[in-house]
Amino acid sequence: MIFSKTKITTAYTVEQCTKCGTLTKRKFNEGDVLFSELSKCDSCDGLTRIEKIFGETTE
Amino acid sequence: MSDDSNPLMMLVWILPIILFVFYGQQIQLFVTSREIKKGIKKLDGFRVESRTELINFVKNNLKAKDDPVKKIDRFLEYFTIMPVDMDPNGIVDKVQHIVRSREDYTREHVKLLAPEMSEIELTKVQTLLEIASSLQMIYKIINHMFLTAKKQNNYPLILPLQMILPFVMEQAEAMKDAIPAFKTGQPVGDGIGPMVVGKMMLDSTKETIAFQTSLSKIDFEDRKLFLLKAEGPGSTVGRPSDGLQKIVSENKLDAIIMIDAALKMEGEDSASVAQGFGAAIGGIGTERFQIEAIATSNNIPVFSIVIKQSVKEAITLMTKEIADTAEDVTSQVYDMIRDDTKPGQSVTVIGVGNTAGVPQ
Repeated sequence: MIFSKTKITTAYTVEQCTKCGTLTKRKFNEGDVLFSELSKCDSCDGLTRIEKIFGETTE
Repeated sequence: MSDDSNPLMMLVWILPIILFVFYGQQIQLFVTSREIKKGIKKLDGFRVESRTELINFVKNNLKAKDDPVKKIDRFLEYFTIMPVDMDPNGIVDKVQHIVRSREDYTREHVKLLAPEMSEIELTKVQTLLEIASSLQMIYKIINHMFLTAKKQNNYPLILPLQMILPFVMEQAEAMKDAIPAFKTGQPVGDGIGPMVVGKMMLDSTKETIAFQTSLSKIDFEDRKLFLLKAEGPGSTVGRPSDGLQKIVSENKLDAIIMIDAALKMEGEDSASVAQGFGAAIGGIGTERFQIEAIATSNNIPVFSIVIKQSVKEAITLMTKEIADTAEDVTSQVYDMIRDDTKPGQSVTVIGVGNTAGVPQ
């Protein structure tokens, strides 16, 4: 159709520090699984845990 | 000579009338056929795409022993004959037996493709296989209905097809769009129930209570909570009714709370949360039947919380709006426990849905 736009969905991962609660949003990497502990927090010495994985659609 | 008596003008008026009286149905059949053909072409594309994706996934990600194409094509042609329902007595057990036999058989044979594949990869292949075989079946049925109507040159026969096609296309497109999420092990909209319960289960001891079903026992404000969900992060819905049966056989339950994704009605907001009564669980109905039977025979009230979403949202990568409801749903679960049970009582909380990408 002339007016239909292509929709692109991008997957994002939201990490939260288990100590200070800082949230970080980044693009999804293969192997990301909810609730898994990943890396050290940038703001403190706590560990970050994946809180959410979701998709955002843009036209 | 005026226009009224001009024989040529009369012919211009009368000819189309005669044409529509005698050939109206054929003209409609022709116009409708073109639309349906476009739909069938799309369905054929989805079918081919899903098959290719499945074959590529098996070839690239798993160490397949032999060329898997032949076996996959055979899996795609599998059919299930539902039991006779002239005498409905015992039909649920029969349906459950057939469906579970099919699942077990498929699982074992898929495993033979690459015996070293992990359980998580196995569930992924099984889900991709389900999608590919469903799309194949949809294509075959719609094509059959269309060709039959064309063969008989029967316009009324094509009408029901024209009516159902938009709904079928919506379902088929959703299935096709679900493939990337299941391939990469991302959570889908239907996984919101397991996501809420999975988070409640963190930092507690887990045990496998039924096939692909995980249980955690925690204490909450003097109440004993049995948290039940499908075993993630593989793509499975588990067997919550078997798990519940086992819990009830060993404990006295005072309430069951079920959290599930539910199809929203047109006009309803996506990711809206609603509370209600009764077993919130989809599928062919056997799990729901068993949960209802357990609840009835043990006089346990069943409460439910649903997160509304469209068909597409339910089986594709979870949207931000749905993921954002997790905290609200968790607090609603705790409120429900406080409001509907007393200290010292026991509650089972079941996170219903596909647990792809959602561990515990």
